[in-house]
Amino acid sequence: MTDHHAAIGDPISAQPPVPQETLEEIFEDIRSHILYDHELHGCLNCGICTATCPSAQYYDYSPREIVQLLWTENLEGIYDAMQEKIWACAQCYTCAARCPFENSPGGLVMIMRETAIKHGMESAKEVLRPFSRVLLKVISTGNQLAPNMITREAFPDWGPNVSKVDAPLNILRKAIPVPTMHTMDTAWIVNLKTSIELYTIWEETGVLDQLEQVDENLFDVVSDVMEEKREEYEEWLEEQEEDA
Amino acid sequence: MSRSGDKSPGYTGFGDEWRPSNLTPADARRATDWVEAKIDRRSMLTDKDRVEDVRDAMWELEKDGEIVVHRVDDRHAPVTARTLYGWEKKVPTNNLWHHKSCGQCGNIPGYPSSVLWLMNELDISYLDETDQTSCTAWNYHGSGIGNVVSLATVFLRNFHQAYVSAKARGLSEGTYYPLVHCGTSFGNYKEMRTFLMHSAELRAEVKKILEKLDRLVDGKLLIPEEIVHYSEWLHVVRDRIADRQKIDMSGVRATVHPACHVYKMVPEDAIYDETVLDGNRVAVSTGLLDTLGVQVIDYSTWYDCCGFGFRHIIGEREFTRSFAIDRKIKVAVEEARADVMIGHDTGCITTLDKNQWIGRAVDKVYALPIMADCQFAALALGAHPYKLAQLHWHASPFETLLEKIGIDWEKAKAEFEQYLEEVKAGKIETLYDPRLAITSGEGYVKPAEIAGGGGK
Repeated sequence: MTDHHAAIGDPISAQPPVPQETLEEIFEDIRSHILYDHELHGCLNCGICTATCPSAQYYDYSPREIVQLLWTENLEGIYDAMQEKIWACAQCYTCAARCPFENSPGGLVMIMRETAIKHGMESAKEVLRPFSRVLLKVISTGNQLAPNMITREAFPDWGPNVSKVDAPLNILRKAIPVPTMHTMDTAWIVNLKTSIELYTIWEETGVLDQLEQVDENLFDVVSDVMEEKREEYEEWLEEQEEDA
Repeated sequence: MSRSGDKSPGYTGFGDEWRPSNLTPADARRATDWVEAKIDRRSMLTDKDRVEDVRDAMWELEKDGEIVVHRVDDRHAPVTARTLYGWEKKVPTNNLWHHKSCGQCGNIPGYPSSVLWLMNELDISYLDETDQTSCTAWNYHGSGIGNVVSLATVFLRNFHQAYVSAKARGLSEGTYYPLVHCGTSFGNYKEMRTFLMHSAELRAEVKKILEKLDRLVDGKLLIPEEIVHYSEWLHVVRDRIADRQKIDMSGVRATVHPACHVYKMVPEDAIYDETVLDGNRVAVSTGLLDTLGVQVIDYSTWYDCCGFGFRHIIGEREFTRSFAIDRKIKVAVEEARADVMIGHDTGCITTLDKNQWIGRAVDKVYALPIMADCQFAALALGAHPYKLAQLHWHASPFETLLEKIGIDWEKAKAEFEQYLEEVKAGKIETLYDPRLAITSGEGYVKPAEIAGGGGK
């Protein structure tokens, strides 16, 4: 995999510009994505997408620019946008709902994010660093969020009222009248067989390869968890056979 | 506001003090032009002729023997609603399989508990089980890890489980119909269904994996006839809910935050109703509030997202909190003078509820109760605000709303704290028999009628 993070067109950069073949490789990966033709149909530069974009109000980001870069096959511009801009998108799809051409700039951004990961771009690794706890949870359990992840330490800006009743978390969880939610490690109790099925999906669809690309240590941890759970499941199956 | 069944002329926002403007026809035309240049349903109607109803492709593929469609049938007591283009959507109202939301269950537990409680009140059959994953789309939209094949496979695996789940109770396949709790799961699954219907390559890849998992029906992919969000279920049963209303809500000024992934992602499938805001905005939640007699207050930034951002709520919260405060909370408080903001999605409720306190750091001091439509409806029907609606998990000042509708929250809180002592002693109250939550594997108890009388 390539590991490139030089800014394009930087006149004082000591690093060589990104080779043309790398730029072409990246664009080819974007263009050959199974959804590319579904998300891009044309562009008149009307800017309605940017006018309603929440991220455009706070970042140097414009969905119109993303669409234009791709539509005009501006390879350097695409590479440049993949360094930072694509990560500003809030994925609300307001742009897609409004585009007269039925483009989905938000969907195109996702294709570019996937491609940034595939190429192991440093910018992607950096952006996803705070996401590691979530990645560990969702890939190993199938739940993105668990009650024990919501702590005052993890979210100091949420203030002191994260829970307005002072009691241990396990008791508060048991006081929820929904039995599947009497757990702290996952949002709901997940059947072991369900987790094993999910691991197969991750393996078969290349998701674990993506994870390894952005965070090798996390990949190792997730692999260990998966192995343990698979062993646990195998043991349970053997017990069933013995009982039968 | 035109309430359901009311013959008042047209859309009238801004609550009790609203008065007609009595514009001249020319001025009214000019004002309408301005609105049209902005955003409403009409701005999305321009593409109508070019948009395909994906269900047509679905029926074709079924006819060709490539897929099996899980139908919404009489067992699900469907109610027909109309979508953006006037297409019909069958919304199941009985025998529902709860596709839970990881963000709701992890962080806003009163959200799913209110949905289940309302179903108990309406005597509706359902299954809440452990054999399901989240849609994993929050992660995908936040990180870019995942892809269309993984998302589509997760979608069809979960929906296949919904299809076969009834067998664990000795009932026929397809008895339960999936009801999706999360707005992002809802939007994502609809997108995946569209992609699957359009791409033979994607279908082949997904089928290969599901075959390994023994998740095909007669060797074919199982595709749901309708993908249904719980807010749509609430919408079509809103009159039945209002029939059981115990608390007068007419003094409440509510703003609605419609969730992007509910109505902007695959917009042609979102429900619009001529009796709700004259059909100009997505009908869910607003229709329910309207029916409960609430004053739904319009506000200028209704169309904006909440600022969740998927990645931003975790790794770039400056954006999330700035957007939530400046574009939603502040406007709802100052412009709409709202008592509450009601939402219908996981990320929105989390974002808007949790990102108010920090505003103090920059002298943006706002306090607005935030909750989901189902929690609000449960309160209207007399549900306990702590034991059932689980409002203590909310950081926003729900207490002010409870006071306004005449609920003594201090007393309710004391009752809940007393209940916690019982919980510590193992006396836990649940909305259904916990044994039903496990349909296979460890802990599964076979009903006597399918276990040869012995049960295990």
